[in-house]
Amino acid sequence: MQISLQQVVPVFLEEGKTASSQLWNQTLSFTKGENIHIVAPSGSGKTSFIHFLYGLRKDYTGKILYDDNDIKNFDAEKFSTWRQQYISIIFQDLRLFTEQTVWQNLEIKRLLSPYHKESRITAMAKRLGIENKLNKLCNTCSYGEQQRIAIIRSLQQPFDFLLLDEPFSHLDENNRQIAMQLMEEEAAERKAAIILTDLKKIEYFSFERVLYL
Amino acid sequence: MVLTYKNIAPFLTANQNKVSRWLSYIGLGVGVLLLLSSVQMYININHLIRDKNTHKNGADFISITKTITNENMGKDNRFTEADIKDLQVQSGFIEGAAPLKANAFKVTAGAGNMIPFSTDIFVEALNTNFIDTVPESFQWKEGDPIVPVIFSTDFLEMYNVFAPSWDLPQLSEKTATALQIFLRCHGHNGERQFKARIVAFSDRINSILVPENFLEKQNKEIEGAENVNASRVFIKTKDANNPQLLTYLAAKDYHVNKDKTKFGRVKGVLQAIVSGLAGFGVLVILLAMVLFSFYLQLMIARSKDNLQLLLTLGYSPKWLSKTVAKKWIPVYIIIIITSLLLTQLLHWGFQHFVMPAREELSFFIDWTVVAIAIFLLALSIAVNSRLVKKSLVKL
Repeated sequence: MQISLQQVVPVFLEEGKTASSQLWNQTLSFTKGENIHIVAPSGSGKTSFIHFLYGLRKDYTGKILYDDNDIKNFDAEKFSTWRQQYISIIFQDLRLFTEQTVWQNLEIKRLLSPYHKESRITAMAKRLGIENKLNKLCNTCSYGEQQRIAIIRSLQQPFDFLLLDEPFSHLDENNRQIAMQLMEEEAAERKAAIILTDLKKIEYFSFERVLYL
Repeated sequence: MVLTYKNIAPFLTANQNKVSRWLSYIGLGVGVLLLLSSVQMYININHLIRDKNTHKNGADFISITKTITNENMGKDNRFTEADIKDLQVQSGFIEGAAPLKANAFKVTAGAGNMIPFSTDIFVEALNTNFIDTVPESFQWKEGDPIVPVIFSTDFLEMYNVFAPSWDLPQLSEKTATALQIFLRCHGHNGERQFKARIVAFSDRINSILVPENFLEKQNKEIEGAENVNASRVFIKTKDANNPQLLTYLAAKDYHVNKDKTKFGRVKGVLQAIVSGLAGFGVLVILLAMVLFSFYLQLMIARSKDNLQLLLTLGYSPKWLSKTVAKKWIPVYIIIIITSLLLTQLLHWGFQHFVMPAREELSFFIDWTVVAIAIFLLALSIAVNSRLVKKSLVKL
C-alpha cells in the first residue's frame, strides 16, 4: 500500500503558513516499509494531519490517496476495510473504551482482524509493564498506562501503515524506548511504515525521512 | 474466530431500560395474539354461519309481501306492475326489485315409484340475478325433456321432518338432486306432464323455482293467463335494516321476511367485533414497534461513543447493524411462535367448550393465520433491522 498527498492544505490553516511547510501543499508519497517522522510545534496541525490520513476529517483541500483511491470518496464501509487490514493508529487522545477492562479493549481490536494470538497480548503487556492491569477497568489506569494500552491495541491487527500521534507524551524515557522498540519490531515484522508525529525529534526512532510541518 | 454479537455486547448498554424492552415484547406478543386469534375467529364464524347467510356481494336479498289484514283479506293482494316500478325507483335504499312470479295453473308433484308420495305444490320464477345459486343447467326451452328446479333448503328440511311419519325416506341434498320428479300441470286449457329435476338448492329463496320462460309459457297455455301479478317481490338492498327502507315498507303496508337476514346480521355483527379486535391487535403491534424503536434508539444513543469508537477502529457499519439487529431475531421468533401456539389453544378451547361437535371447524388453525404469523415475523425483523441501520447511520 502507498499513501500519496497531493497539495493537501487544511481549510482552517492561515494563509502563508504553507510556504515553510514540508508537508502542506506538497506532493508526497509514503511507501510501505519507510519510517517517516513529522516534527512540529503545538497547534501546527499534526493531529489534523493524522486524522486526515486516517479519514476522520475531510476539511482539507487537495487529495489524499490510498494507492490510487481518493479517500474523500470513501464511505464508512470502505474505510472499515482499509482500517482492518492496512492502517492502524494510536490517537493522541487514545480513544479507549474507558468503562471496559484493559483486556476487553485489546481483545475487541484483536478479534476484528486477528494478527496475533491472545497470548501475545499478555506478552506485550508484560513488556510494557502493564500485565497486572489487564483485568482492571480502563478508567482506573493512569494516562501513561492508558497510552501503553493504546499502543498494544494498535499492534493487534495487520497493517501497512502505523500512524502515531504523539504516542509517548505521558511516558518516561525508559518506557518510551521500550514502546518504540516494540512498535518498530512489529512494523518490521509486517514490512510496514510508521508515520510518527511529535513536538521534537525522537532520537530512538529510526526514521528514513523527517518532515517539518 | 468469527465475531458475534457476544463480542460487542459489553460495549452496548443493551441491558438498560429493561422495562420498555419487556413492555415492547409483551405488547408485540399481545398484539400478534389478538390479531391471529381474531383472524381465526373470523374464519370460524364464516364456517359456522356460512350456510345461513343471505348477505352476498355486499347486499341483502329479502322478500316482501303485502300485509294481509282482516280488511284486505278479500281483495287481490298481489303486486301490480306499478307497485314493482315504484320499488325499483327507490334508488336510495333499494338496489333492485324483481317479482316472484307464481303459477296460475295447478301443479301436482310426485316422485314416481321411488317415493310413493305426491302433493299439490306451487312453482315460482324469479329473475336469475336474484337467486343465490344458479347452475348453468337452470335453463329450459320448448322440447326439453327435463324442467330444472331450484329447491329451497328449508323445504327439504321440512320434508325430512315429516317424511318418517309418512314412512317416506329422508333425503340428503345429493340424493334429492338425483330424484326424478313428475310434474302434472293442469288448468282450464288442459293438462301437461313434465319430468323435473332439482339442479340446485337455495338458502335465500323459500320456494320451488322454475325457469321464467317455462312458467310464463305454461301460465299462458294451460291457464290462459298472461302477466300474472306476483304475491312476493324480492328486493336487493345494501342493508335490510336501513331505517329509510323500513319506513318506506311500513308506509306501503308491505311485510318483510327478515328471518334470513337475521343470520346475516348476527354474522355481520360478530365479524365486525372480531374485525375490531383484529384492528386493535394491529394497533397494539404498531405501538409495541414504536416502543421498541424508542428502546433501540435510546440504547444506541447511550452506546453512541462506544459504537463510534468501534467504527473508528475499523468495525464495518454493515456488520454492526446486521449483528445488532440479528440479536432480536430469536426474540421475535419466540414471541410469534408463542402467539401462534396460544391461538391454536384458544381455537381448541373454542372448538371444545364453546362449539362442541361442530364438524365445520377444523382442528388446526387456518393456514391464513399461519401465513399472517410468518408475515408478521418477517415484518418485525425487517422493521427492526431498518431501525438499527438507521440509528447507526445517524452516528
